[in-house]
Amino acid sequence: MLNYLIKRILMMALTLFLIITLTFFLMHAIPGGPFTSEKMLAPEIEAALNAKYGLDKPIWQQYLSYLQGIITFDLGPSFKYPGVRVNDLIREGLPVTAQTGFLAMLCVVALGIPLGIVAALHQNKWQDTTIMAIATMGVAIPSYVLATIALYLFALQWQLVPTFGLDSWQGYILPVLALSGFWLSFIARLSRSSLLEVLGQDYMVTARAKGLHPQTILFKHGMRNALIPIVTVLGPVVANLLTGSFVIEQIFALPGIGRHFVLSISNRDYTTIMGITIFYAAFLMLMILIVDLLYMVLDPRIKLGEKAQ
Amino acid sequence: MSSAPLLKVDNLTTHFHTSRGDVQAVRGVSFDVKPGEILGIVGESGSGKSITCLSILGLLKANGEVVDGSADFEGKQLTGLSDKQLRTIRGDDIAMIFQDPMTSLNPTLTVGEQLIETIVAHKPVSRGEARKRALELFELVKIPSAASRLDNYPHEFSGGMRQRVMIAMALTCDPKLLIADEPTTALDVTIQRQILLLLKDLQEKLGMAIILITHDLGVIAEVADRILVMYGGMVMETGDVYDVFESPQHPYTTGLLHSIPDVRSHTKQRLTPIPGSPPDMLRPPEGCPFAPRCPHAIQQCLEAMPPLFERPNAKPTVHEARCWLHHEEAPKALQSIFDAPEVSNG
Amino acid sequence: MTDIHVTVPKEKWAPVDRGAQDAEFIAAPSLTYWQDVRQRMWRNKPAMASLAFIILLILAAIFGPMLTHHTYYDQDLKLSNIPPIFEVYKTEPTDASAQYMFLNSGNFKLYEVAENGEILGLVRAKRKDLMKKQHIYVFGDAEVRVDYSQLPATLVDGDGNAIESIGYRWNQTNWFGTDSLGRDVLVRQLYGARISLTVAFVAAMVNFFIGVFYGGIAGYFGGNVDNVMMRIVEIIATIPLTLYVILMMVVFQSGFLSIIIAIGSVFWVDMARIVRGQMLSLKNQDYVAAAKTMGASTKRILTRHLLPNTMGPILVTLTLLIPSAIFIESFMSFIGLGVSVPMASWGTLTAEAVETLRAYPHQLFFPAAAISLTMFAFNFLGDGLRDALDPRLRK
Ligand SMILES: Nc1ncnc2c1ncn2[C@@H]1O[C@H](COP(=O)(O)OP(=O)(O)OP(=O)(O)O)[C@@H](O)[C@H]1O
Ligand code: SF4
Ligand SMILES: [Mg+2]
Repeated sequence: MLNYLIKRILMMALTLFLIITLTFFLMHAIPGGPFTSEKMLAPEIEAALNAKYGLDKPIWQQYLSYLQGIITFDLGPSFKYPGVRVNDLIREGLPVTAQTGFLAMLCVVALGIPLGIVAALHQNKWQDTTIMAIATMGVAIPSYVLATIALYLFALQWQLVPTFGLDSWQGYILPVLALSGFWLSFIARLSRSSLLEVLGQDYMVTARAKGLHPQTILFKHGMRNALIPIVTVLGPVVANLLTGSFVIEQIFALPGIGRHFVLSISNRDYTTIMGITIFYAAFLMLMILIVDLLYMVLDPRIKLGEKAQ
Repeated sequence: MSSAPLLKVDNLTTHFHTSRGDVQAVRGVSFDVKPGEILGIVGESGSGKSITCLSILGLLKANGEVVDGSADFEGKQLTGLSDKQLRTIRGDDIAMIFQDPMTSLNPTLTVGEQLIETIVAHKPVSRGEARKRALELFELVKIPSAASRLDNYPHEFSGGMRQRVMIAMALTCDPKLLIADEPTTALDVTIQRQILLLLKDLQEKLGMAIILITHDLGVIAEVADRILVMYGGMVMETGDVYDVFESPQHPYTTGLLHSIPDVRSHTKQRLTPIPGSPPDMLRPPEGCPFAPRCPHAIQQCLEAMPPLFERPNAKPTVHEARCWLHHEEAPKALQSIFDAPEVSNG
Repeated sequence: MTDIHVTVPKEKWAPVDRGAQDAEFIAAPSLTYWQDVRQRMWRNKPAMASLAFIILLILAAIFGPMLTHHTYYDQDLKLSNIPPIFEVYKTEPTDASAQYMFLNSGNFKLYEVAENGEILGLVRAKRKDLMKKQHIYVFGDAEVRVDYSQLPATLVDGDGNAIESIGYRWNQTNWFGTDSLGRDVLVRQLYGARISLTVAFVAAMVNFFIGVFYGGIAGYFGGNVDNVMMRIVEIIATIPLTLYVILMMVVFQSGFLSIIIAIGSVFWVDMARIVRGQMLSLKNQDYVAAAKTMGASTKRILTRHLLPNTMGPILVTLTLLIPSAIFIESFMSFIGLGVSVPMASWGTLTAEAVETLRAYPHQLFFPAAAISLTMFAFNFLGDGLRDALDPRLRK
């Protein structure tokens, strides 16, 4: 177990290193320096700025010092906001993004899975049809469309919730709903088909033939197995909730990391783009590790370190 | 032979409701099982063997329904019982083991847990006692180093060992009747024999009755007392194993005996599978279900369902066959195909 | 059940005359796999409706813009933010013919229209009474006032009586209305469809080829090649694809071609995995071994044996890849990283509609409906295809 963990963490470090390298050189491959793009700066000022941020040094030196910074958890200065460091931006946005993200994740798991179970247990009855109709809409309507419609109806038209900000608990409703909508529907559909698949398995007949209580059969034998494919997609779900937060935070004007990220893109604030990308990558890899560990607990067929095909 | 039957199945009829119509999987099957005997059921794939047994225990899929007939177990009408009442019988008085030990055990629970949960579902014992019982059963079915194996997962066992686990699981509550649905089909040939001998051995030790479903007539010849030959959801021939094998009274049985290396003469014989395929159970033929493939079919066979005709028996068990050629008016020339003591056209 | 003593007529004892017909042929005729798939597809109503929708959409995207004089870039600020449906009012000056008009309640402008809903032009106000919050228009001897002292604004005559309405009319000039720059929404929608569909199809095709190629090689050679290649895929898969696309768009600068490259180069991972998995499992099957021992070349085994069998899952992945590509493109355009102005994609159209959401909420309707319906259609089609191809459902 420990060996496996160590191996995984080393692998993660390698992946992270590759991602850092890749983003670094990608960002530096963009034609023109960060200060040449829009405003026509006087050459001397630009040179001074370049010197201040170390951009006059050879690229490999910049790379090394960037790496050095990352080892000490320092993602460097923002190019656009003088005196602001990327770390500050992340620290500032993290609570908002983490809160909405966590609530959305909670919705996905705590609503999506039960809805899928209900649908599977009432296959082709009205419960199933209703849940699946809504879930099908949920996977078809893009999150930003859902967010805008919800914003218009609930905030502007009926004024049930605030249009922006997270000052009251009502403020969370629409962002969380819009953020989780797709994955909630997706997980509901997946849970349904996964459970249906499991219900058709031979070992479920065995469980019935043994005279077990229907509840035991459903949860101990059915759900436990049906959860395996669901858990495997939870990693990607976290990742997509993160990227989903880019638009959601923009639409609802939430001061989260996603909004900083989108802003930094339109500002061409390369260090911020780089820093947030790396932060996300590290976070996601951690989530994937957790999901994998969870997966191993659920499925004894998965030996430590190797996935069964 | 005078003892009351343990299980009495009468005119059991099971349909599956599908989008394309009703699949008539079982069509009026009747038989009984006496305490301590082994009844073999043979028949090609799709002949309704499994569905017959699943119907008895109420284990059909949601789209399946027993539309007629009854199954009487020790005086209880199983077909009329609620699921709750059936639960007390399943795994307790009647246990079942399935064809594929790979898929019939839950992959995410230890085998020990799968045994223990069965025991505590039926017996007022603690988990500790149940575990002790599980260990005994593992030893009974001859799983090596049983104690340490209880905490293993199914994928850590070989196919033969898994089937032993399945058998142990079926025996947890000393069932009076064990239904074994092709317990050896998925296993290697050498393992097949071991499992079969184990079943026979356990049956003698514990005195339970067994319904043994199989494709393999050799298996039946070796262990069964009586045999039920099924085709197209119906019983084609039934009788003592000795009678049926010595003088098969149905062209389908004859065909089956041809399609295996000869178990009686022990001489090397060419395999001759029965040409054609089983009937479509959505629209089964009006007459004899075997008629489209029967080399001896007559006009009558296409038009009317043959009844079961009683045949002479050397053993005390009744010997019956569902074939028009046994009709009292049938020309002697046609009946002569059943005369030869050996299968003729080999 | 028939009684055993039933009498059987003499002639019924005659043997069955089977003629040439063999026992083999008596079983119901069985369909080939693809016939079966097609039949099941055909019976799946939502999937067929979706297919019809997609075909219509493609036709509309190709030919629609050719059938109109509107373009996606022509601006006419005088005719901005006009809704697709409006209430037409009528005033009858005694000295001139009847006048039809409608009031754009978002900007209090008055437009002259024909009785059928065709837009004739913006009407200039004679006077603006800022105190009373009224704009005064004069038609012959009739006077019409736009009164915005109370919202929503109303049309009244010189004496303050409401003007007669002749009911709602469909905008005959711009069927879907115009946007904030006075561009025709319908034509921009159709161009949006062109962009979204092109990006989706091209990206899907690129992904398809890369994925099949990559996964095919990994699966076919197995061993170390497979190990290394799959490690790379694993690393790529760690990061959400959207993030890659964003980074690439930052590097390439936004634009039509960049977004195709960006989407086209990252979505092949799923495809590669599926193809590899199929390849590995098929490789071990008997018929491939048989082909090998019979001396078939690698290329022949690939094209004749492996690919046809992998077709099903690939097809399903592909139909499900298209909606993701459409989504990503619109997502990128929505956050301003997609196609550049004045080009329209469903994402930019939605983003534009969001800006005017308070005043003209109806502008959200068309882009939102377009993308959602298209996503619906591809999802239904993909689901239907998956069900139809699933061998376990085969009867
Ligand atoms: N859930 C179901 N829905 C529709 N038809 C079914 C269902 N289950 C079984 N059948 C049909 O019932 C018939 C009898 O099946 P059964 O499983 O009893 O055959 P069997 O004799 O046990 O065959 P095998 O030797 O392959 O196990 C078959 O024609 C099968 O297609
Ligand atoms: S009834 Fe006719 S078709 Fe059926 S087995 Fe007998 S001879 Fe053959
Ligand atoms: Mg069976």
